[in-house]
Amino acid sequence: MEALSKLKLLVSEYGVSGDEMRVAKAARDLLAPYAECEIDEFGNVLGRISCGDDSAPTLMLDAHMDQIGFLVTEITPEGFLRFIPVGGVDGRMLPGSELCVMTRRHGNIRGIVGAVPPHLQSGSQSAAIAMEDMTVDVGMTGAQARSVISVGDYMCFAGDLMPLLGGRITSKALDDRACFVCILEALRRLQGKKLSVNLLITATTKEELGCFGAQMVANRLCPDFAIAVDVTHGKTGDAPEVECELSKGAQISIGANSRPELAEMVIEAAKKNNIPYQLAACPARSGTNAWTIQPAGSRGVCTMVLSLPLKYMHSPVELLDMEDVKNTGELLAAFISSFDGRCRL
Amino acid sequence: MKDLISKLCSLDGVSGFEAPVRDFIKAYAQPLADEIVTDNAGNLFCFKKGERKPASPIMLCAHMDEVGFLVKAITADGMLKLSPVGSIDPRVLIGRRMSVGKNGIPGIISIKAIHLTTPEERKKSPELKTLYVDIGAKSKEEAEKLVRVGDPIAFRSEFSGLGVDCIKGKALDDRIGCAVLLKLMEEELSYDTWFVFSASEEIGAQGAVTAVKNIDPGFFGIVECTAAGDTPDTPPHLYSTKMRSGGALSLIDRGSVYCRKLREKVVSQADREGVPYQLKLRDTGANDAGSMIYGTGAHLFGLSVPVRYIHCANSVAFMPDIDSALKLARIFIREAGAFDD
Repeated sequence: MEALSKLKLLVSEYGVSGDEMRVAKAARDLLAPYAECEIDEFGNVLGRISCGDDSAPTLMLDAHMDQIGFLVTEITPEGFLRFIPVGGVDGRMLPGSELCVMTRRHGNIRGIVGAVPPHLQSGSQSAAIAMEDMTVDVGMTGAQARSVISVGDYMCFAGDLMPLLGGRITSKALDDRACFVCILEALRRLQGKKLSVNLLITATTKEELGCFGAQMVANRLCPDFAIAVDVTHGKTGDAPEVECELSKGAQISIGANSRPELAEMVIEAAKKNNIPYQLAACPARSGTNAWTIQPAGSRGVCTMVLSLPLKYMHSPVELLDMEDVKNTGELLAAFISSFDGRCRL
Repeated sequence: MKDLISKLCSLDGVSGFEAPVRDFIKAYAQPLADEIVTDNAGNLFCFKKGERKPASPIMLCAHMDEVGFLVKAITADGMLKLSPVGSIDPRVLIGRRMSVGKNGIPGIISIKAIHLTTPEERKKSPELKTLYVDIGAKSKEEAEKLVRVGDPIAFRSEFSGLGVDCIKGKALDDRIGCAVLLKLMEEELSYDTWFVFSASEEIGAQGAVTAVKNIDPGFFGIVECTAAGDTPDTPPHLYSTKMRSGGALSLIDRGSVYCRKLREKVVSQADREGVPYQLKLRDTGANDAGSMIYGTGAHLFGLSVPVRYIHCANSVAFMPDIDSALKLARIFIREAGAFDD
């Protein structure tokens, strides 16, 4: 299966933080051709690839499976749903959008986030509508809605992956499913190659709420090294201060949370193989799973952050370049095949 | 009916670019109409004979066009700036998918990630002039290979059923009206009727102004979509119409004063037949009926299907309301024909 098809499949499975089991199964099925796989009781996907030496160090490659979304908090007598966000959602993206309501017993249903019709607005259109004032319309009366939807049901942005010009694509949940595809691309390239480290591939839960899934996995399995593969902001017209740009390769972070020694080796691998990359200074917490993986276990983990450039993060229309996915996978593979498991801090 | 609305809503027809909608309607009406003509304003006229000839012409009108944008400019980094066509609240645009130009090139509208915003910024909604469509182009040159200034931009939103007996999609306003007219044309009519599919309603009934002068109707009925007010963000005393309450009959609005006698005759007949209806209780909005000031005088009849989130990528309507509108439009033809009886 091509990288784009894998990504299409992954983003079509819903998995808001705390409700990742469906997307976990899809991730496991994609990982199974390369690794010994299991899903733990919390929904984290764990895949192991042995280098043949149990005493060799373990390198963890992580991407999170969860996506931002919403929780239903009330079903009004008229059948409208009130809700709270799960993870960082900018409410300004909601009016007029289409959501998927994941009901517990009646499957997925569609809903539309209401917006005051322009003819009836009294306030200014420049004032954002507060999320607590929004409702979701599921096309049902109160009684009908109550019979299929429960308070506590998850919701998230609807919509499939849509190709744009020149290998660029848009979808919800590219953060961070696209990075799992980068890892799969790396594993495809590494097939049949002799490695010096054991690999632990993880597709983890609850990143959007505090990187909890990766934290528990790292504490339980205590890898020696870990690379958190996550998305990073790409420059847009309304965010000219962003340094990273799409189509210029993966971004390698350097700082306390993304060890300079490990980063140096990845940069070397990129140079040696003519793979494009970008650098980022990462002075403190990286905002990725590397932050909770780093202090795991009694010895800690040597962590690094490798990022895929993406525009409009946490919107229903995140946008990235598949060429960056390919290059990120290639860079991961180049580094891993050359890594001897030693990294002196 | 739902299938017909679905087909009509799958077409893009921003005001001035109604050709795909007009072509579809023309083909659909061909076997049903006795005469089909078009004009220089982009309107489509379909005449169908009924059992009798009315004392003065009966005209029933729905508009083909939808709100959207034109490409205003292409920026150095390949983004498309927007010129609005019709009334659109910029707050419903962020995060939406769009179709650009005749070939429907896919694109999206978004703003920078929440992580890059301040709480203060998030309280303000960006103005339209700061928004743009991203088609994935890396540069102005790449974008210019496919897009040029003046190309139309429409919402890209799949039509589908929603919940129980509801539908959702873009351009329900006024493809629902177009569908009602086409369904009526499939029937045996009580009186000869001109079915007019008008252009450029969303920019000020520009097409209908020409249409009324062409037909010079004595009875002018409109099948429109109107904002349903029954959402939690609107206080009940401001409801103009409610979804699930039948087709809405207009009293007055910003463009027209509707004929009371004609409305009362329709209401009496609707009561006899058990057809649900409601009155449009606010004077907000305007429609093609307003163009009649350019004619020689006609009895106006305004009929609207309540639509929630009108002028959005995802508007919502209730199928039984559309069925009610079809029945009320049928009654209108009969009552207009028998107006002086």
